[in-house]
Parts: sequence; C-alpha cells; structure tokens
Amino acid sequence: MKAILNKLFTHYWNPYVALILAGILSAIYFGITGTVWAVTGEFTRLGGHILEFFGADISDWAYFDLVHMQGSSFSRSDGWIVWGMFIGALIMVLFSNNFKIRVPKQKRRLVQGLAGGIIAGFGARLALGCNLAAFFTGVPQFSFHSWIFIIATGAGTYLGAKIAKTRWWKGKPSLTKGDKKPSAEKSRKVQPYVGGIIALMYTGLILYFFVTDRPLLGTAAIFGALFGILIERGQICFTSAFRDLWLTGRGLMAKAIIIAMAVSSVITLFVIVIYGMEPITQIAAPSTFIGGFLFGLGIVLASSCETGMMYRLMEGQILYLTVFAGNIIGVTALAYAWDHLGLYHALVASGKSINLISAFGPLGAILATLVMLSILYLLTVYRQKTYRFAGMRSKKGEKKYVS
Amino acid sequence: MSVDFTLDLRGESCPYPVIYTLEALEGMTKGELLQVITDCPASFRNVPEEVLKHGYQFAKEPVKNGQEYLFYIVA
Repeated sequence: MKAILNKLFTHYWNPYVALILAGILSAIYFGITGTVWAVTGEFTRLGGHILEFFGADISDWAYFDLVHMQGSSFSRSDGWIVWGMFIGALIMVLFSNNFKIRVPKQKRRLVQGLAGGIIAGFGARLALGCNLAAFFTGVPQFSFHSWIFIIATGAGTYLGAKIAKTRWWKGKPSLTKGDKKPSAEKSRKVQPYVGGIIALMYTGLILYFFVTDRPLLGTAAIFGALFGILIERGQICFTSAFRDLWLTGRGLMAKAIIIAMAVSSVITLFVIVIYGMEPITQIAAPSTFIGGFLFGLGIVLASSCETGMMYRLMEGQILYLTVFAGNIIGVTALAYAWDHLGLYHALVASGKSINLISAFGPLGAILATLVMLSILYLLTVYRQKTYRFAGMRSKKGEKKYVS
Repeated sequence: MSVDFTLDLRGESCPYPVIYTLEALEGMTKGELLQVITDCPASFRNVPEEVLKHGYQFAKEPVKNGQEYLFYIVA
C-alpha cells in the first residue's frame, strides 16, 4: 500500500493516462450537468465582481449578460469547478511534498507573465473559450468554432515561441564555472499532513453541499477537484503541447491531448445521442480566429494558459500570480470592448453557430472529428521526427545533432 | 566527477529551463560536465527528455533534493 501511495504521489503520472481520464470525466460531467469543463467564463465573472466591488455599474455590459453574472462564485457550479481545481491541485502538491515559494530571479518574467496573461485572457474570451471550452471540451461537443480555434492557437503559439527565443525576451541564465551547492533539504515533512487536513475539510464541504440539497455544487466541487488532481499529477500543459513542437520538436503533450480528445469525443457522442442532449455550440466567426491567435501568443509569453496557471500557482510559483492577475484583467478588458468598443459588431455578429452533429448527423460528426484529429496527430509525429532545437550559438549549416 | 559549469535555474519556469540547458550544452566543449539545479516541476520531466533527445548523456542519475532536482549532463 505504501509503495502504491509512494508511486502515486512522488512520481508524475503518464500524461496520456491523466488526459484520457480528464476527457472521460469531462464527458461524464457534461452528461450529469449539461455544462462543460471550462474556466475562463468564471474568470470573466470574477472580473465583473471586482468591478462591482469598486462600485462600477456593469448591468448594461452585454458580455456579462452573456456569461450570466447571477450569484457569487461560491454559489455557481462553474465557480466550484475553478476552486475545486485549485484545491485538488494544491492537495496533490502537498501530498508530494513539492510546495515551495518559487520566485523568478529575473524580474522581467513578472512583466512578461502579466502581459502574456492579459493577451491570453482577452483572446480566450474573444473566441468564447480557452483551451478547454474552445478546444479540449469544445471538439468533443462538435462545435466547429473549436476547429478554427486550434489552427489559430497553433499560429499564435508559433509567433510566441519566436518571441520567447529572442535574446531580450529570454534573458540570461545564471551559468557559473564549477560546482554550486543545492538548497539544504528539510528533514521533516509536514506538507503531506497539511494536504490531508485540506482534503478532509474539502470532503466535508462536498458532503455539506449534498446534505443541504445543492447536488449541482457538490458535483462541480468533486469534478473540479478531480480535474485539478489530474492536471497537476499529469503536469498537463496545453501551452507546452504547442510551444514545445515549435521550440524543440517535443510532441508528447500534443499527442496525449489529441488521443484524449478522440476518446472524449466518442463518449460525448454517446452521451448526446443516448440522453438526447443538446451539444454546446459556440459561434464561429472572425473573432474565433483572432481570439485563438491572441490566446496562443499570450500563453507562450505568459509561460502558461489559464488552466496550467492554476496548478503552477499552487506549486508556489510566484510568476503565476501575475499571470492570474493578467488573465482577469484581459477577460475584463474584453468584456468592456465587446460592446463599448464595438468588437461584437465588427468581429462576432457575422458569425454562425455550426455544430457538426446538426450539419452531418452523429456518424458524420464523429468521423469528421476523428479524421481531423488523425491529421493533427500525423503532423505532430512529423514535426517530432524532423525538428530539433538550435540555439543562438549554433552556426548556420552546422549539423551538431545526428539522431 | 568534477562539475565544469553549473546552471542555476531555480525560480525559472517553462520553457526557459529547457532552452537554457540546451544552449549551455551547445556552448560547452564536448565531454565537459554541466550541473543543472532546477525547481520548476515541469522541468523535472522535460529537461531530461530533451537532453537525451538532443543527443547528450547523463553522467549519473538525477538527484531529487527536496523540491529541486539536480541533473548532471555531459556536453
């Protein structure tokens, strides 16, 4: 038993396992609640609450109407998905004794995180979803806007990777001659116990939701925590799935995400057909492409998307405080620009909600999705086989790496 | 086993641990030993993967040191 626990909490899980489980869970969550695993919608509402706190009247902002501002974050299922993810990830970090306040030595990182976070938040909401609702849980809903979003995110992350590699953005590492001592290791391990206490309290909260007849909140709290556990244990990073393909030709995360989306699509199709549910379809418009591109650019600059930010913050990485703040600023700016600056009329109004199930029927929809995912998988494998990192120092034409 | 260079990546987040490590190795003479100290959890996995894929060898097994990892890589 001890050996199993040790394996579960001191080793990271295979990303394929973590992502496929997340894909299955998100299909089940949709079957139970009729909503999908998503985070940035709730971030937008948090931005709205902050505006309200400072006395702003947001009752006539069209975007806040669109995302339904009712109640507080703690009385909404989408809210508990977000808080559950934070708590689930934190419990895992503590169980594995891996919490540490990690402060970036190069102060430019904090500015980069804030700027990237703003761009990513703005882009995600312009496209009506981040890497979850417009990607990982958007494809299995057969919403065509997610296809556009994936291509645009690919392009945005490519530009982001180019910028991240430039000398002025990348900064300089601390490279010194000779040996250097690592930090002293603490002999007493208190973190797992703190994690245990938090886990018990959170279980109590979930029971409280069910006992007081709020099963939807209880369900969201459970699934949120499970998603948090999976993204932390699998170190699931949608940013790296794209970025590493461009930077070093690493395809592991991208392939795991593609396979998991295929599994999730098949299960979601069964849920939709058997229970006669309406898939969640978002509008496909120029805003989807522009938003996806900005999102892709922003997540590479910020070193994380809105999902990865959550468990990294729980690991104690201070950088992600600025990314989180940036995300909230970005989504709120988009909510303002939506009607006040005419973004909706310029980029969204001309669009159309296209769902593959209504367009091609269930069989056509799943076939089209699987073909699209297969093409993405093959492109990933090709890139992984043919591309290697070349830094500033390597001269043109010099082939140093022979595989 | 004597360390020629040390790359102290504590506090750095993705993708910089991988970029810095590969660039440091590129700049070193073949056979020299690089010590990497990192505390970004994602780098516990992607630094070793990328180092091996780009044709470098580990001088010894990675060392887990509390919330950090130490890598010893031959350029």
